[in-house]
Amino acid sequence: MLRRISCCVSIVIAALAAIAVSDALIHAVLAQTPFGAPRPAAGVQQTGGVIGWILAKQSEFYREMSGAIRAAKSDGSAVTTLLGISFLYGIFHAAGPGHGKAVISSYLVANEETARRGIVLSFASAFLQALVAVLIVGIGAVLLNVTAKTMCSTERVIEIVSYALIAAFGARLVWTKGRGFIGALQRDRSGGVAAPGLVPAMSHAHASASSHGHAQHDHGHHNHGHDDHGHDHHHGAHGHSAHDHHAHGHDDHEHVHDEHCGHNHGPTPDQLAGPGGWSRGLGAIFAVGLRPCSGAILVLVFALAQGLFWAGVAATFVMGLGTAITVAAIALVAVSGKGLARRLAAGREGGGVLILRGLEFGAAGLVLLLGGGLLLGYLSAERVTCF
Amino acid sequence: MMRLFSFAVLLLTACVAQLGVAQAHPHVSVTSTSELIYTGDGSVTGVRHVWAFDELFSAYAIQGIDTKTKGVYTREDLAPLAQVNVDSLKEFAYFTTARAGGKKEKFGDPIDYFLEYKGSSLVLTFTLPLKVPAKTPELVLEVFDPTYFVAFALADKEPLKLVGAPANCKLAIEKPNESKPQQNLSEQNFLNGENANYGASFANRMTVACQ
Repeated sequence: MLRRISCCVSIVIAALAAIAVSDALIHAVLAQTPFGAPRPAAGVQQTGGVIGWILAKQSEFYREMSGAIRAAKSDGSAVTTLLGISFLYGIFHAAGPGHGKAVISSYLVANEETARRGIVLSFASAFLQALVAVLIVGIGAVLLNVTAKTMCSTERVIEIVSYALIAAFGARLVWTKGRGFIGALQRDRSGGVAAPGLVPAMSHAHASASSHGHAQHDHGHHNHGHDDHGHDHHHGAHGHSAHDHHAHGHDDHEHVHDEHCGHNHGPTPDQLAGPGGWSRGLGAIFAVGLRPCSGAILVLVFALAQGLFWAGVAATFVMGLGTAITVAAIALVAVSGKGLARRLAAGREGGGVLILRGLEFGAAGLVLLLGGGLLLGYLSAERVTCF
Repeated sequence: MMRLFSFAVLLLTACVAQLGVAQAHPHVSVTSTSELIYTGDGSVTGVRHVWAFDELFSAYAIQGIDTKTKGVYTREDLAPLAQVNVDSLKEFAYFTTARAGGKKEKFGDPIDYFLEYKGSSLVLTFTLPLKVPAKTPELVLEVFDPTYFVAFALADKEPLKLVGAPANCKLAIEKPNESKPQQNLSEQNFLNGENANYGASFANRMTVACQ
């Protein structure tokens, strides 16, 4: 009975996720062909109520920014105003829908992450984003005096790399979480026989065994392709078996992590900064933070033209601080939602874990879909338009 | 318990999925002034746009451009940029639609285009000829970006001039109401569809009726 309910819930979740994602894709496709679709439809989908307000608010701050930079030229105290506006702009800018938050939140849901790590990831990616913007303008405009077109092409390249990273990152998550999900599915099927008290220990052993099998039979080749593409190029040099071995060891490590948490042991401090811990988070930071915000680039170039480049740099980092606060808040919601789901799942056998694994798998899939969609141009977050 | 659990899961899923809806943020704002060009027999042959870019984007766009005199940007200096502009705008259908009696008209490639640097603002002037001149009792011209990457605003004074139009033609201008979002933002309004045409409030619609 219970299992039937959880099964229903999983189906609902899957359906909901599918609707949401296809909805997002349709929106984005319409956005790509401005006048291919009936105008009102495209218009409405682009700007809903709350989102419209956020967009209006952030363009308000954005418009005020040029004036503030201009004022700072003659009046040093206006810099404070500029920083204030930049901070608010950052907060509102990040509150509007964008892929960065989606990737970080999905990553946090897919993995067993603490709130603290969620906050750290948000701040680190926002800081990197600000840094990349400053570097592009600093090197491009200040040092080399290239044209906007060149800078824009640079942005475009970085954008593509960043989307590819998200896709690779998502593929890796899907791979890991897919195995966890399949493991949970199998456990769920055979788990009904097991005595309740024995379930944790047994499922642990079972999970390792079943994912082991899957790794080699079902998904081995997929994994090979994705991993090769995403990172670890040197793996290709080794034989196929060597690669499999290595990848396996790594995944196993992560699996153990998850199993621990799945059984509600809670994260230990070493997970926060442990070797595996940070390198995993780095992927998220780079995937999200590599791509600079177009607004920051424009503000930096404008500040440079006004002879106040440093004010632009300060504004960019303060903007990043604002962005980080919003993203961290959203990340916290994601982490607590997952925490709630986990606590509730801990209270039940089999089914709860299955849903949890399904949720993680779904979140991982979302990262992959986002990355793929952005890369292939089905989704457009902020178009880097070179005109 | 089960209900709470499924609720938590659904909420989380919906939350994450919603964030995935990637949308545009406006980073370029344009103040638009246009002219509708008529021929002697009263048909419209095209639109001439004069678009002033905001100073942030303007500063960005002229970055690194070589000029004969430092800090002075002539039409000649800006000619390559103007070319890039009109070429790029093609992909976005020039953010312009013209409907003659409800039927969407097609534009040819822009002609007579140039950029000027006025004050601290780049101004792009270009003419969009209609492929087939339109003789119609009602023409609706819209200038906006449905993806809201470029925020178009109609100029305060005379955003559209009718050049050589028959005397019986009347012009009506509909500007987006910027105060609307703040007033009508209650969730209820949004859900029951009163705000369903929110996106349309970004549209700049100019209607010319000739009776």
